[in-house]
Amino acid sequence: MTLEEVKEILKAEVITGADTLQMEVKMGCGCDLMSDVLAFIKSDSLLLTGLTNPQVVRTAEIADIAAICFVRGKKPDEETISLAKSKGLPLLMTHLPMFESCGRLYKNGLIGCSEYKE
Amino acid sequence: MAGYTRMGLSVALNTKNNAKADVRVAQDKEITKVQELTYELKVKDVMTTDVVTVSPKDTINDLREILRTRRIAGAPVVEGNQLVGIVSIEDLVKCLARGEMDASVEEKMTKKVETLYADEPVIHAVRKFDRYGFGRLPVIERDQGKLVGILTKGDIIEGLFKKLQIDYHEEEIHRYRASHIFEDIVADKTRLHFQYNIVGQDFNRAGEAASGLKKTLLRLGFHPQIVRRVAIATYEAEMNIVIFANGGQISASVQPEYIEIEASDAGPGIPDIEQAMQPGFSTAPEWVQELGFGAGMGLPNIQKCADKMDLTSQVGKGTDLKATIYIKERGN
Amino acid sequence: MKLREIVKELGLEVRCAADNLDKQVSAGYASDLLSDVMANSKKDSIWVTLQIHQNVVAVASLKELAGIIIVNGREPEEEALRKAEEENIPIMLTKLPTFEIVGRLYKLGIPGTA
Repeated sequence: MTLEEVKEILKAEVITGADTLQMEVKMGCGCDLMSDVLAFIKSDSLLLTGLTNPQVVRTAEIADIAAICFVRGKKPDEETISLAKSKGLPLLMTHLPMFESCGRLYKNGLIGCSEYKE
Repeated sequence: MAGYTRMGLSVALNTKNNAKADVRVAQDKEITKVQELTYELKVKDVMTTDVVTVSPKDTINDLREILRTRRIAGAPVVEGNQLVGIVSIEDLVKCLARGEMDASVEEKMTKKVETLYADEPVIHAVRKFDRYGFGRLPVIERDQGKLVGILTKGDIIEGLFKKLQIDYHEEEIHRYRASHIFEDIVADKTRLHFQYNIVGQDFNRAGEAASGLKKTLLRLGFHPQIVRRVAIATYEAEMNIVIFANGGQISASVQPEYIEIEASDAGPGIPDIEQAMQPGFSTAPEWVQELGFGAGMGLPNIQKCADKMDLTSQVGKGTDLKATIYIKERGN
Repeated sequence: MKLREIVKELGLEVRCAADNLDKQVSAGYASDLLSDVMANSKKDSIWVTLQIHQNVVAVASLKELAGIIIVNGREPEEEALRKAEEENIPIMLTKLPTFEIVGRLYKLGIPGTA
């Protein structure tokens, strides 16, 4: 699924990375706790989270996450945004809650990390 | 004086009187750069591609002519494209002594050949030379085993120097350095060491060490999957220091066969290590949990990423964690 | 949809309050941040989380949630199970991560909160 499609399905706005919307994400992961993200996330995934501090970007970098979409209308602070920009990590934001976001993406064919066979 | 390595430096110091301090900084940087280069550069970057070969059906007499005219001390034996053996000047001398100059190369060659892959880092070549004491190693392509080049110690040194852009035509310094730089690389300096200071409680900077280490390892050419595991383990260790301790150190020791991360702090210590290793168990304060951490996955994550983990801790004194990730060398 | 049907369809393991599965589930809520669940979840929702400590029961009770699904094959703490049994709040387990289980709940027809 491309980020463009994710944007459409979640009615999301692009915070940074508008020129990367053709990027493919292979699976989705919904998580508010960073350690759990690191425990099982695979590379090239889309992370959905309500957490907006700079650590989210660092976690994404460490785990080779392709893009982040903030849920519940949460907007990251300036520091997080500039860190993401410097690392070329796309950030999106949707007003939908986590449940609705995961649900819609799953229904539209985006699989989860546990289902992705490398 | 900058630009001289420690070895070249001794020669220079004997002839000139210069401030040692400036020089020491330059030489440390230089040595580190050389070490790093042995990981970054691959065999194919430094090997000779114009290989002189002999055929199994050639005679030892033929071999003598070839070694003499081409001024080399040995040659790989190839049949078609495949490497079938190697023959050297020692073999020639033995035949001369026994009057066996009409024997075929096939009879006298060494059939079990130690080789290098073209895409291997130079550090592997250095260690192979050290282990076996050969003068040269044939280089083959990983897929088909085709002979693509040959490598001598001299090639490695020349390649390193070229990369460092040192003017190695200064004959005197060159010869002195050449013999010593190799020994240094082999003897002690085959490992790289990176150190990071972690500031406690600083959530904005937390993760910088892991991020920095990841970039460095990728630059040095390690496999992305290996780098990922190192990065995650380091990140979790770093977060633990930031959350629970008042700061600490993380060091990464990079050897050709493994990478070892050590994270130590003088924090509160862990009273029950077995309990701490359970996924989900956490002693993190609530404000940390609101930041998305303290879910109790840190230590289990490190254990999952590492091949070996050692955790020691003393309440009131601090904690020390060592995690080792093995890098698989082909065949060994 | 009733909790009982959900448990059956998704193969969830019920850990406590098994006699309280006839509740109707109106919506689903997925979050690991307690303050967020306190602020935004709706009554009779089913809550998907990976938190395993007893505070989740307190929150579920306060917000009158239908039940809690713990993901990633995690085990709830003893205290959490005890409290949940007391409050008669079903705790169900799945090996799947949040994204997948939410996806399947959604496909079953459970909406998110508006």
